[in-house]
Amino acid sequence: MRRIVTLALRDLRLELRGRAGLFAALFFLGVVLLILGFALGPEKDDLRRAAPGVLWVALAFAGSLLAGRAWAVEVENDTLDDLLLTPGSREWIYWGKFLFLWLLLFAVALLLLVLVAGMFYLPLEQAPGLLLTLFLGATGYAAVATFYAGLVARLATAQLILPILVFSVVVPVILAAVRATLGLVEGVPLGEVAAWWKLLAAFDLIYLTASSLLFPFVVEG
Amino acid sequence: MLGWERMETARTRLDPVTVGLLALGFAVLLIGFYLALVAPPDQQQGYLVRILYLHVAAAWTGYLAFVVAGIYALFYLFTNRPAYDRVSAASAEIGLWLSLLMVLGGMMWARPTWGVYWVWEPRLTSVAVMIAVYVGYFLVRQAIEDPEMRAKAAAAVAILGVINIPITYMSVYWWRSIHQTASIDIINRKVHMAPAMLEALLVNLLAFTLIYLGFVRLKGYLAARQALKEGFDG
Repeated sequence: MRRIVTLALRDLRLELRGRAGLFAALFFLGVVLLILGFALGPEKDDLRRAAPGVLWVALAFAGSLLAGRAWAVEVENDTLDDLLLTPGSREWIYWGKFLFLWLLLFAVALLLLVLVAGMFYLPLEQAPGLLLTLFLGATGYAAVATFYAGLVARLATAQLILPILVFSVVVPVILAAVRATLGLVEGVPLGEVAAWWKLLAAFDLIYLTASSLLFPFVVEG
Repeated sequence: MLGWERMETARTRLDPVTVGLLALGFAVLLIGFYLALVAPPDQQQGYLVRILYLHVAAAWTGYLAFVVAGIYALFYLFTNRPAYDRVSAASAEIGLWLSLLMVLGGMMWARPTWGVYWVWEPRLTSVAVMIAVYVGYFLVRQAIEDPEMRAKAAAAVAILGVINIPITYMSVYWWRSIHQTASIDIINRKVHMAPAMLEALLVNLLAFTLIYLGFVRLKGYLAARQALKEGFDG
């Protein structure tokens, strides 16, 4: 557990110092929101109806920019082998990288929530529900993204392949998250939204378990 | 050297099991086709119900193909034997074709029944997601040059993709919507069908399964020859 947190915090510190990935993602996020706002606006009702979709599309795209970051640091500095050679099982490396990506994604998601609330009239009265949805959605996304990013980290074309890999598997998570968000925005009774949360939680659990168990088999070293 | 030659001669000829499975499959398909046409029309759907024999058989074998692809992907990750990867890919490809056939049949049925070809309801959406996953599977295979890396990445997609199958199957029970629940209800162990219809469906299902098995062997054999040419074998 200690090393998981250590690894995640180290990566986070490096990311914040380097800023390359995070800045690119934030800039990209801003542009996506501007384009979507321009394309869908300026009617308030249209924007509000589109808000859940905008939120998750932007997060999914920005996430695909961030996904590679967890491993790019290791490959750039040629430290991936050292990391893999550390005694003990390899699951903890997955968990450390997952925690890093999850923290990054969730932070971006929080910022995004505020931005979408401002630009697309997403009702923030539902904040607890929205936060829960973001929490579950980011978990599923990070679980899959960390796994695949580790798998292709050494490939020269990793940046190209990663979105294909991640999106093909993460679609159910995004769909469930969009539906949950939509339900919250439209004021559907919480019982119905909870069905989507349950589905999201089930995906998170399955993806996390499968990814962490498979990780030692697929990672090169 | 001897081993390599033996392997090549073993794989340059189609084995009788594959040919037999395909021949038997298509023969049973003819019988199934006949039975589907003589089966009585449905009380509510009339003659339209005949699409069901194709739709359900394709859906089931499609699910089967994806599950087999996932299982062989697991085998591959544990053993690193390229043969398992080839079977996994062959099964996934046939599964994808069967799913597309299933969707096509479903759309032809849906247009006169629901009035539209497609609605975004849970079953259809989960099927669309399932198909997207396996299209992604082949994009991944195309995108990665290194055979070992390709096999590993594809296996990872095939294994995580299988998770969609039970969700797709259960979607009609979890979110009651416009799509029918299963006529052969394995959850509640009930069959909601007339015997003649059930017989036609089961014969078609058998035909599809035999054809599926034959094609997996055929595809696996073609892939093995390809691998021999590329020099990725073990």
